[in-house]
Amino acid sequence: MSAEFELSRNITIGQYLPTESVVHRLDPRFKLAAFVILILAIAICNTYVGNLFALVICISMFAVAKIPLHYGISGIKPAIPFIIILATLQLLFYGEIANGGTVYVQYGFITISSESIRLVLVSAMRFVEVIFLSSVLTLSTSTTELTHGMERLLGPLHKVKFPVHAFALIITIAIRFVPTFAMEMEKMMKAQASRGADFGTGEWWRIIRRTKDMLPIIIPLFNVALARAEDLILAMEARCYTPGASRTQYTHYKAQGKDYVALLTSIVISVIMLVIPW
Amino acid sequence: MNRSIVEVSDLSHTYMQGTPLAHRALNRVSMQAAKGECIAIIGHTGSGKSTLIQHLNGLFRPQAGKVIVNGLDVSDPKVDIKLLRRQVGLVFQNPEDQLFEKLVGDDIAYGPFKMGLPLAEVKERVEWAMELVGLSFEEMKDRPTFALSGGQKRKIALAGMLALRPKVLVLDEPTAGLDPRSRQELLQRIRRLNQEERLTVIFVSHNMEEVAQLAERVYVMALGQIACEGTPRQIFGNQEILREHHIGTPEAVDILYKLREQGYGVDPGAFLPEEAAAEILKLINR
Repeated sequence: MSAEFELSRNITIGQYLPTESVVHRLDPRFKLAAFVILILAIAICNTYVGNLFALVICISMFAVAKIPLHYGISGIKPAIPFIIILATLQLLFYGEIANGGTVYVQYGFITISSESIRLVLVSAMRFVEVIFLSSVLTLSTSTTELTHGMERLLGPLHKVKFPVHAFALIITIAIRFVPTFAMEMEKMMKAQASRGADFGTGEWWRIIRRTKDMLPIIIPLFNVALARAEDLILAMEARCYTPGASRTQYTHYKAQGKDYVALLTSIVISVIMLVIPW
Repeated sequence: MNRSIVEVSDLSHTYMQGTPLAHRALNRVSMQAAKGECIAIIGHTGSGKSTLIQHLNGLFRPQAGKVIVNGLDVSDPKVDIKLLRRQVGLVFQNPEDQLFEKLVGDDIAYGPFKMGLPLAEVKERVEWAMELVGLSFEEMKDRPTFALSGGQKRKIALAGMLALRPKVLVLDEPTAGLDPRSRQELLQRIRRLNQEERLTVIFVSHNMEEVAQLAERVYVMALGQIACEGTPRQIFGNQEILREHHIGTPEAVDILYKLREQGYGVDPGAFLPEEAAAEILKLINR
């Protein structure tokens, strides 16, 4: 009950947990590349064993990064309704598409086969793996490092007129303000609760009432967000930020042995995941 | 002495409990407020003031210790939390951020409507609350909220809280960021609420002039604990306490301390400008 309003504690994205592990000290470019490779492998791999293997890898990554596992688990909690809805829809309507295997149930348009069950289980596992991976990435990498890494990796796209810097900046600002707005929202909820508001106590089917209950938070939050955006613009202009101007970099990254090892490991893991036939 | 309306005993609170980021914000804090008293809580940023006051209306439940407000035990999980929040009006820092209705009157009426009061009584309460903060009901009730000045918005937020008719008013830095005139006016209003409406007022402040003007008793917080407690006269008159906790002093007290350093016999406990002036006059006429 006392944690009723501690919103910022439930948000793991954008939170940095400095434990100074090997994972924390990796070159962000390599870390990001390894992350992308693993995500791709997870997206392609559709075998039980391959995904179990990926799950084990993801969990052990928490140990290597010296981050308590419950950080990852608390990231999954809010996703559970989505996973369940997705799984139900897939189970009911994907039987036709994911045909093959043994058919267990056939009733009207609903077909449940071993293949559609595989699809359901594998996508639920993928969900968990992706959340775990991104939690490790964001918990072990500060947002500045993350965007620097992204900017460098996307650097070549500059040649085809892709606004790499602006893109990186947008991501930085978005991630940077997640905890800030969580805190603003927490404050707003407390302020309105002090005036007698209640949230989420109405019956769940009375959607309109429950939406109206949120207005006293949403409207002021938008106001605060717009005010903050204006402040940010002023602060950036005061420091002579010019859109599109060519910029030098303050930090320079130099790849070391451990960075290559990390990248190689991620490739090996991906290959194993894709090679496993079951 | 009246019976205490607010009774906090041995209250402790840890943020982010059970994570590596755990942070102890309150450590065995005890405080009382008698009915009709005006109490200031001062202390540096991070000393636990805000955490303490959020326990008073049950936004935080005590992890250890007890908080009893007007006979309601905040640590009791079955306590009627809405009733509690009506008795303790907690006004946050920059409360003008919380306005959300288009019209002033509607925003103030939000709380009373949430209580389920009939329209006539809501209207009466809104009118009463607006007069208390010095806004004319007829003139202001249909003004759009967002076209108002910061000081006026803050008064509206305060009125929105008063419309719940709380017994205890808790304010977190009520005058921060206001211009000197709005600041003085708001202070006058708070003083009147305390003296004429017999509202118990507990406020957090960094402004010592304000503390000197309003408070009957002062709690000094440091590192999540109550460092000391006393009347403004006791606190401002004791240079050791001031030094130890880096408390600023009202200008009048500053002058008296400087005079004393020069070897003049003045009483620095005279913290109001008038009293300080009297002390200095005594010196001149001697």
